[in-house]
Amino acid sequence: MNPDATVGIVLVSHSAALADGAAELASQVAGGAVAVIPAGGTDDGGLGTSAAKVEEAVKRADRGVGVLIIPDLGSAVLTVRALLTDPDDLPGPVELADAPFVEGVVAATVTAAAGADIEAVRGAAEEAWHARKL
Amino acid sequence: MPESCEQVITLGGDLHARPAGALAVAAAKFAADVSLTVGDKTVNAKSVLAVMGLGATSGQHVTAAATGPDAEQAVAAVVAALSDATKVGG
Repeated sequence: MNPDATVGIVLVSHSAALADGAAELASQVAGGAVAVIPAGGTDDGGLGTSAAKVEEAVKRADRGVGVLIIPDLGSAVLTVRALLTDPDDLPGPVELADAPFVEGVVAATVTAAAGADIEAVRGAAEEAWHARKL
Repeated sequence: MPESCEQVITLGGDLHARPAGALAVAAAKFAADVSLTVGDKTVNAKSVLAVMGLGATSGQHVTAAATGPDAEQAVAAVVAALSDATKVGG
């Protein structure tokens, strides 16, 4: 295992544009050292989620120290949960965060960039519920 | 080695998203608790969302403070990140 490896992040959204944009924003805020991989839309490019896209994204995000998945809404959560019931095909550990989408990925990516482990990265994402903007 | 340390700096630019990210990444690498204070608001410097929530702007005074075994290095790193990151805005 590379001691400098960072936790990877996967963004699962119904919209490819939303996942791509949130990934770009989080990468820029955190300085680019973390793999933030979007998995948005269905396999044919429509609105929805795709287990195949999520699985591929988790493999691309993996650096050997875990991957945190952040879903947007509803069936994104169900798609990830179904995938995690049979994690044999995934690199481990892979965890699902209960977090607001934009704030969660920004907080998680910054924490991952500092070298935190997957539990701390998940904690940062989930604490984002409490961050006030004003 | 001091267990607590603080330093005040004047922002050269606004503390937008990218500077806040650079600062939080720098702070989170230390064991010490690190805080930032602007006016009457104090936040955890390791939380990028909290740092953004300060809404700190160019010319404001920011106090970086740390408590813990590596407090001195943490404050130095945070001050360096603040000076670098706010040079060009965010």
